[in-house]
Amino acid sequence: MYDLDLLEHTDTVNELLARYGVKFGIYKNNTFKEQLFPFDTVPRIIEADEFDFLEKGLKQRVVALNLFLKDIYSEKKIVKDKVIPEDFIFASSGYLAQCEGVTPPKDIYSHISGIDLVQGKDKSWYILEDNLRVPSGASYPMIAREICRRSSPDTFSDLHIEDNRNYAKLLRRTMDNVCVDGGHTVILTPGRYNAAYFEHSYLAEKTGAHLVNGSELIVQDDKLYYRNYDGSLERVGAVYRRISDEYLDPLNFNPESVIGIPHIYDVFRKGNVALLNAPGNGIADDKGIYYFVPKMIRYYLGEEPILNNAPTYLPFYEEDMKYVLEHFDDLVLKDVAEAGGYGVVFGNSMTKQEKKDFIELLKSEPRRFIAQEVIDFLDIEILDGNEIVPRKADLRAFVLMADEPLVWKSGLTRFSRNPDSFIVNSSQGGGFKDTWVLSH
Amino acid sequence: MKMLHFDYQMEVSYSIPVDKCYYTIKCIPMNCGTQRLESYEVSFEPETKYSIGQDGFSNSYFYGREDVHHKTFTFGIKGVVTTGLKAEKAEDDMEYAVYRYPYGLNESGERIRAYHDTFEFTNDMSTYQKAEMMMRRLYQDFVYQKHVTDCNTSAEDAFILGKGVCQDYAHILIALCHLEKIPTRYVAGMMIGEGASHAWVEICQDGIWCGLDPTNNKLVDDDYIKLSHGRDASDCLINRGVIVGGGEQTQDIKVHVWEE
Repeated sequence: MYDLDLLEHTDTVNELLARYGVKFGIYKNNTFKEQLFPFDTVPRIIEADEFDFLEKGLKQRVVALNLFLKDIYSEKKIVKDKVIPEDFIFASSGYLAQCEGVTPPKDIYSHISGIDLVQGKDKSWYILEDNLRVPSGASYPMIAREICRRSSPDTFSDLHIEDNRNYAKLLRRTMDNVCVDGGHTVILTPGRYNAAYFEHSYLAEKTGAHLVNGSELIVQDDKLYYRNYDGSLERVGAVYRRISDEYLDPLNFNPESVIGIPHIYDVFRKGNVALLNAPGNGIADDKGIYYFVPKMIRYYLGEEPILNNAPTYLPFYEEDMKYVLEHFDDLVLKDVAEAGGYGVVFGNSMTKQEKKDFIELLKSEPRRFIAQEVIDFLDIEILDGNEIVPRKADLRAFVLMADEPLVWKSGLTRFSRNPDSFIVNSSQGGGFKDTWVLSH
Repeated sequence: MKMLHFDYQMEVSYSIPVDKCYYTIKCIPMNCGTQRLESYEVSFEPETKYSIGQDGFSNSYFYGREDVHHKTFTFGIKGVVTTGLKAEKAEDDMEYAVYRYPYGLNESGERIRAYHDTFEFTNDMSTYQKAEMMMRRLYQDFVYQKHVTDCNTSAEDAFILGKGVCQDYAHILIALCHLEKIPTRYVAGMMIGEGASHAWVEICQDGIWCGLDPTNNKLVDDDYIKLSHGRDASDCLINRGVIVGGGEQTQDIKVHVWEE
């Protein structure tokens, strides 16, 4: 594999990525910095039959998660039937009471789901996290593939790799599927200071959707309109919104929001516009709820989960608490309210005092944490200078819910550049790779 | 059972004219539980085309956009409500489960928890009796005073201050009831007589909601008209808006409820 011609082009590809604006905006300590998202040309390769397996498991999971969201914001059968304790719903910040009783077009809540997986040394895959709010990342392997193909056309003509540039088509199909009354489809961005602004503009360009900010959308007579350059209004039927729930509508969510659209959620409530993804999804990708996803699959689909969670314990349950205290040093503990690699601690990395304090906190707020076995990751290889070195990596798979669930035959492989770190988040300085799914 | 007439008038004045505003006004008597909305009529000045929506707690509201340049915005609603009907029992506990959990302004802190510890409940007390007992004591220990708290004051902060208005009484009582695991919600509404809008709480016992008015140390009866309910005051805010222009604003509210 390392004689691939493509690897010779690492620097060129990275230069081009930078030129195209593949950057991550990070707002820290009141200053805005853009940092490059380093690309490694060594691809992650997934065989066709292995990906088929992943595809089946991912579809199953996302179908169940959508059914869960519909249930939670209506009848809550899964709570009544005591499969999930009500504490995990109502005490979660991801549960938005405003969304009670609201039915999104075609009952789809999570149109675009980013499911994070890792592969263990035993080659089995584990689900690490579901991202059902505003998952980002698809644009990076898309553009990287585009540039790699141009840098080294031979690599791609000799190998049978699924073309991942069809993501735009899949996304278009997903948006069109729920678009109301044949209106326009727009991608709503908070603007160029957002970490993922490159992605917003790239996806707009590739799908042919309008890229808009909040001030270009207006609610009138219970419908949503796009304000044209000449002041005329054009009906909008679907909004792929890249701003979080709380900032979406100052009159229904956070009143302080200046990037939202007043009354957009009222229009959604009346079924006159589709919002991708639907507000309120945070209840399903909460780290506490993660524990229950396999149970959800059995409950809603009557099937055994195809893909496994990482072995997880809920200190909320007495026997799990007991296990966690007994095996504390072997576990990783995660704060359910945190994301982006924050709020994660390894039992064996704490000092005696830290451990004592943490256990006290755990006992006083058991619902706040989950504990997981530390997975022995299968390292993947990256090119570090001229050297091939092993690093920890994960895979964000994208599952789109259109008229049927669609799994993109690629994904974002993120790796940690630090040899000792397990944390691969781009916001913490990780890099990325293209993910090649072989076509046979 | 009573037939109550109500008249709610709100006038918002601005120091600089408003170019545009978006409003959400949650001020329609509820048509459920112990009351029935018989008729109503609404007025806006400047005139506006409004829609009616319903939130996640089944509260109705008016909303829309006002494009006419204006220095004052008035909203009025008057009508007739039948009160004191027999309350319906909730079909299943998922209908009130959300009200068992602390949220926003009704979260308790150390001081409220310590206060809660001073109550001595006996095993034979019903949910309702416990709540009533807490209301009676709170009424004794908290002082009604205007302009010392605002609409964002939390239960804990108001409790530490020891004084406040109906919203604060309600938040503190909700916090106390939550500590007893009683499903409790905030209610915005109007009371017989003339004055401003009012707020109280409802607790759920065996699937039936009953109202307690801690500001007046009174059980809620057919002299009260409910406008909305939710977890805390922010869910029941009567007037929410996004305003372009406007400068300083003052709000004047007149409420009149009477029996004919």
